[in-house]
Amino acid sequence: MTTATTVVDVHGLEKTYGKANERQYKALKDINFSVAEGEFVGIMGASGSGKTTLLNMLSTLDTPTKGDVIVNGHDVTKMRGNQLADFRAQEVGFIFQDFNLLESLTAEENIGLPLALKGTASKVMDQAIHEVAETLSIADLLQKYPAELSGGQKQRVAAARAIVHHPSILMGDEPTGALDSTSARELLDLLTTINQKQAMSVLLVTHDPFSASFCQRILFIKDGQIGSELKRGSQDRAAFYQQILNELGTFNE
Amino acid sequence: MLGKLALAGIKNRRRDYLVLLAGLTMSAAIFYMFANLATNRAFIKANAVVSQASLIFGFGAVLLILITVVYIMYANSFLLSMRQHDYGLFMMLGATRKRVGELVFLETLILGAIATAIGIGLGLLMSKFLVGFLLNMLGLHLAHLSAVYVPAIIATAVLYVGLFILASLFNLIRLTRTTVLKLLHSDEQANQPKVKPFRQLIQGTLGIVFLAIGYWALAAIKTLQMTAIPLALVTITLGTYLLFRATILVIIRGLRHTAWAKKHLNGFLLGQLNFRVHNYTRMLTIVSLLFAMALGAITVGSGYHKQLPMMAKTLGTYSIAIHDKTPAEQKLMDQLHVAYTATYTQKRQGKTVYYNADELAKQPVEQQRYKKSGQPEAHLYTQSLKAFKKSGTQDMNFMALALGKVGAYTPKILSAEQFAKQTGKTVTVTTIRVKDLQQDMKPLKQLNKLENQRFTPPTNMTVGSYQGYEMMNAFFGGLEFMGYFLGIAFLAMLASCLMFKILSGAPGDQRRYRMLYKVGVRQNLMRWGIAKEIGILFLIPGIMGVIDVLFGLQMFKPLMVAPMSPYLGIGSTFLIFIGLYVIYYLITLALYWRIVLPKTTTD
Repeated sequence: MTTATTVVDVHGLEKTYGKANERQYKALKDINFSVAEGEFVGIMGASGSGKTTLLNMLSTLDTPTKGDVIVNGHDVTKMRGNQLADFRAQEVGFIFQDFNLLESLTAEENIGLPLALKGTASKVMDQAIHEVAETLSIADLLQKYPAELSGGQKQRVAAARAIVHHPSILMGDEPTGALDSTSARELLDLLTTINQKQAMSVLLVTHDPFSASFCQRILFIKDGQIGSELKRGSQDRAAFYQQILNELGTFNE
Repeated sequence: MLGKLALAGIKNRRRDYLVLLAGLTMSAAIFYMFANLATNRAFIKANAVVSQASLIFGFGAVLLILITVVYIMYANSFLLSMRQHDYGLFMMLGATRKRVGELVFLETLILGAIATAIGIGLGLLMSKFLVGFLLNMLGLHLAHLSAVYVPAIIATAVLYVGLFILASLFNLIRLTRTTVLKLLHSDEQANQPKVKPFRQLIQGTLGIVFLAIGYWALAAIKTLQMTAIPLALVTITLGTYLLFRATILVIIRGLRHTAWAKKHLNGFLLGQLNFRVHNYTRMLTIVSLLFAMALGAITVGSGYHKQLPMMAKTLGTYSIAIHDKTPAEQKLMDQLHVAYTATYTQKRQGKTVYYNADELAKQPVEQQRYKKSGQPEAHLYTQSLKAFKKSGTQDMNFMALALGKVGAYTPKILSAEQFAKQTGKTVTVTTIRVKDLQQDMKPLKQLNKLENQRFTPPTNMTVGSYQGYEMMNAFFGGLEFMGYFLGIAFLAMLASCLMFKILSGAPGDQRRYRMLYKVGVRQNLMRWGIAKEIGILFLIPGIMGVIDVLFGLQMFKPLMVAPMSPYLGIGSTFLIFIGLYVIYYLITLALYWRIVLPKTTTD
């Protein structure tokens, strides 16, 4: 699958915690998978299965013990210091469970941050912010501070910040984890729209079958290994949801 | 069990505690040193010759107490900000409020007691060595000064322990009134100050009016007398506070809408400042006042130090006069940087002292002009022998060469032949004017001592500018010393205040910088951002403080009459002071970086 249209390519990834002379713990064991451009992929697993560790490796927040991670042609395991920071700033968009918005900045300033880091001209920046705000229907919230927003609104602002600079991949770490079901559904619909309209690849880490049912393909991870894979194919979301539940039933036995 | 947990929590943050403890210890030590001076009546009586000096001491004590209160308040809030998460956790785990309350109370009090005890010990040592060193450096001698002074120890202990009990109670009340959830998420609350243009305008105008009144009061100290200082303190404090409130927020808001704010971390920087400055207004006001007082005190101290020799220069046409020099004295004289020297032979008979006209013609006596106001001018001149005979023999400097009481001998000038025939006790006298008193201070001191051992000095006057300098030094030395001492004490406290206030915001920032790190901000960019943010917080009170000093020095005009001036040579003093301030800034910055910056991920 290593073609020009592959956005993420992971080979033989391993992560071991603990020093050589101490008791070691293998969080990830020989992980291999890839994400094609424009794909919406979910990674599912119970807590402690290693899914957050995996996401941290992909997003360069943590370094693997062994193996390669290639994102949009860059081998992130070979990067150091500023390269890593720049990579995160330019190639990856993040949505976190706890929003990670800066409460000292307005929504607009929060969204503009990735562009400001790039040194984008202020006019271009304003335009980009307003475009993305329209897409996520938060145009009327731009002047507000995070403390004045609801959870769902905060997460939409965070999503806007994640895609405003057109990263090659959008990564979400339980983005609906702190949201009520209505807000969660809205956000997942938005992610689907972004995925389809802007052909942006999305990688979603979750333990929630409902969130996962929005994906096109799901990788199940257990004890640091990819156990099985589900493809949505042409089924509708409800049928896929049922399939995921069934799979989880057998997977977790 | 809870005690153990608390102890473990402290162990984990021992470096932060060390900073806190060091700051509190320093503060207690400084307070002890000041209390040692201020409460020692014998010392004040012996040294505070100028009536204003005891007044200044009184205000100094009150100010130092006020500052100590504020200082402990900030230190306490730093402590609380470090601990409240842990306290919240204990409560969540089921500890009763009462138990946690006891813990809080004890922790604060124990920390305070340790700091006070070490502080007094350190204060004793510092009184012994630092004060001695300072006096030595300034060439001063102050009577009745001892390192150990029991009333000062008691005053320091009572004040500090009292304040810590208050702080403990305050912590207790605050903790028992906040909910567990709030404690756990204490750093996630945000308040955004609102800008109200009309109110802001009134505040700004009032601020400037108050500042103007304060500055005027300082300049008019001669007419206002005692009321000038308290009036200025109140109005300048109010004025600064209002001005800060009115302007800083508006400036930040204005900048936020510019294109500049949309580059790199600038927007974040402005957001942070906007977020903080409102909270910080009070602290910035106090710090700017402290800055002004520290800088003002040091400027006045160094003003006296630098200008006393200059003033003394006008007190004599020669620096020193040596009678019948010995070989030991000659050796010392060879070390001097001589600008003008002359040697005359005297013959004393009855009430008259005779001089040789030839010597006076060859080495004319330098004289001083007087201004219309009666002030001596630094400019020197010589006369022809004829003119000198007419008026010059009445010159005080010349008269003083005869030794004994002024007027005890009448000088008379004889021709060389007559002088040779004249009987009487023969004495040679050498007058030396050095280029710079300050430069030759050491040999001059020894020469003066030797001269005074052999010849009883005149009781009612000084001979030469060096003796003039010694007299003035004894007179103004107390002021000079106090200036330096208070300056250093205020600087130490102000910087620690600023440091604690800023550091107490650090735990909250930790999270913000962690977010920036995740979003992909380069480490260097974050470093710079922090440097700028803290730099601005240091800069604002610095600028205001300098302005305060420039106006405030007016107050010392009556005490530093021409040719002295409180403004003379302030440049170098300012530079040294600002240098010290910058060092404090760098220390704060380094600590902040250590607390806030996320560790880069490696395994």
